[in-house]
Amino acid sequence: MATARLTHLTYWYPGAATPALYDVSLVIGEGVTLVAGPSGGGKSTLLRVLNGLVPHFHGGRIAGSAEVAGLDIIATPTRLLARTVGFVFQDPELQAVYDTVEREVAFGLENMGVRTDEMHARVDEALVEAGAEHLARRRIRTLSGGERQRVALASVLSMQPDLVVLDEPTSQLDPEGASLVLSAVSRLAETGHAVVISEHRLERLRRMADTLVAVDGGSVASHEPAAWRPPQIDAPVRRTAPAGPEAWSLSGVSVGFAGHTVLDRVDIAGHRGEVVALSGPNGGGKTTLLRTIAGTLSPLAGKVERRPGRIAYLPQNPTALLHRPTVRSEVELTLGRSGAVDNPEQILAALGLLAVAGRYPRDLSTGERQRAALAAVLPGRPDLVLLDEPTRGMDPAARDALMRLVVALREAGSAVVLATHDTDLRNALADRVATVDGGTVTELHAVRA
Amino acid sequence: MAAWSGACIFIALFTTNPAYRALVLAAAFATLAVSVGLARMRRMLIGGGLIVAVDILLNFVSAHLGRTVLFALPDAIPGIGGPYTLEALAFGVSNALTIAAAICAAAPFSLLLESHDVMDALPNVLSRTGTAIAASLNLVPSIVASFAEVSEAQRFRGWRPRGPRSWAEVVVPVVLTSAESSIQLAESMEARGFASTPRTTYERPRLDRSDWLVVTVSGLAVVGFVAAHAAGWAADWDAYPSLVAPRIDLPALVSCLLLFAPVLVWRRRV
Repeated sequence: MATARLTHLTYWYPGAATPALYDVSLVIGEGVTLVAGPSGGGKSTLLRVLNGLVPHFHGGRIAGSAEVAGLDIIATPTRLLARTVGFVFQDPELQAVYDTVEREVAFGLENMGVRTDEMHARVDEALVEAGAEHLARRRIRTLSGGERQRVALASVLSMQPDLVVLDEPTSQLDPEGASLVLSAVSRLAETGHAVVISEHRLERLRRMADTLVAVDGGSVASHEPAAWRPPQIDAPVRRTAPAGPEAWSLSGVSVGFAGHTVLDRVDIAGHRGEVVALSGPNGGGKTTLLRTIAGTLSPLAGKVERRPGRIAYLPQNPTALLHRPTVRSEVELTLGRSGAVDNPEQILAALGLLAVAGRYPRDLSTGERQRAALAAVLPGRPDLVLLDEPTRGMDPAARDALMRLVVALREAGSAVVLATHDTDLRNALADRVATVDGGTVTELHAVRA
Repeated sequence: MAAWSGACIFIALFTTNPAYRALVLAAAFATLAVSVGLARMRRMLIGGGLIVAVDILLNFVSAHLGRTVLFALPDAIPGIGGPYTLEALAFGVSNALTIAAAICAAAPFSLLLESHDVMDALPNVLSRTGTAIAASLNLVPSIVASFAEVSEAQRFRGWRPRGPRSWAEVVVPVVLTSAESSIQLAESMEARGFASTPRTTYERPRLDRSDWLVVTVSGLAVVGFVAAHAAGWAADWDAYPSLVAPRIDLPALVSCLLLFAPVLVWRRRV
């Protein structure tokens, strides 16, 4: 039985000349529907049609028809569709209204005017369904990203929707957090919920999906999950030049804040033309180590040495940096200040951004914005490149662009340090891997000679 | 809590007598210490202490009034030249007592209550507005973190803080990111049916006997103090032109002492 049905649906965002979705006809039934495709292809827009955020919240023009659980989506406001369609967003930091878990889960029920005694039972039930019952008394700000997403899931399940929609719910999470969320989704599927989920990490979800919907360029096609093959991305070029002299080193370095030691007597060094990957659990000290190498944190003890030269630093959310009127001017700003004489077109071409170089970066799709941020931070020939969780939230194309750029920087002699949970990235790029746990570098091994 | 805070702030602002202001401050401080604990008050005490110190200093430096001259700087020194008087110091201290009392009386709202406690206590007509405000306050920590992260990352792109205009390179991206975050939060609220029907609440706050006692006593304190003032039993005070000790009258004193009631009835909620 169809839970949702879109028929010849075409949608334009306000002011857009080309539609974000074009002539989409789709039937969504019970079980898990996996939505795949590149960033900017229309996945988020498609998902937002299902609960009416498109067009009711975002405006724009829409043609065709759409219904969910017998309701006409185009004629029904999102706030009323909320009783039928639950929606979990990408960023766990930007969904919470209340400061405690129990209250957050009850938020939708309060909006629906549910009686207080009934509300308590439904909150308990939803927390169990989302595997978050142990978090009930916790404060939201004390939760990890994965725990927050489980709470976000519980908060929509408490409203007992016919359809649960999740828009890249693990894209901002580390592997442990992603696993927590995907386990909860798996449980939903087992208990007979209709679930629509868009994701870049497809491996685990493909096994539980009943249908796969590929969205690209605003067009939609349904596939058998097992039969569908994602576009292949070539592995980056392997090393051609040997590593050079030492570029940075930490000797017996301890770093701490407010009496709490984060790094304890760390000894580690990196060379020009070498990629050192920092792995380890959240809170283990990876970012602190990166910032200590960069010189933004002063050590309590020990010695930090760096060869003179320009440092390029990519923070965890690099798209937040974008503020210039065009993508090209972002690159020119960094190049101009670094004194590099490189042509901005070079990095724009390398990252596949030439077509959007004249556009306002914040108007681009998520994946394009991520590549624009890379172009803004990494142009020229930085001597030391520091990357903090560079693939967090990246789609495969942006990830591929990043890998190629890092390889090019390494070949040009930059010393690269990347803090990452991404094992594929580590395997593809790292010459050596250091495990940072409990503030100590517990392991430092060569990945390849 | 609102009734007690309101009573403290009203009396501290209503009277000019530093003795009563000091009593209100003592009541507010004691209540906080009992209910919150000194450890959690640390930041507030440091911040409040700085404000009070600046207030006293400003009055001492700028008000060259009064007859008891402690020392004098040459009039030729712009801004700070002139006599420094005991009266100006006392007047500054008296004003500082009001500020400190107001800070301590208002502090329970942030130190003792969760945002949902305040929202639950709002009348239905204000509940949507209250919810929207509480939700937007949840974004504050991420905005602060974003400011630190963006300024650090922009430094690596060559940015240096040189004058107010240079800060646009940090402030503009932070503001844009905050605006995008607000839109995402609004989407999340809309997607959970915000403003679709009259709201109910998960926990409706109930006032117990001790709460009613505090409300009653707070009301009595205000009424008693105003009545005492009208009858001439809560004399005002002025530091100028010569310093005199503030007069203390029993009816006004009793009214202020009523503000200590929460010390007896509020248990610690750390």
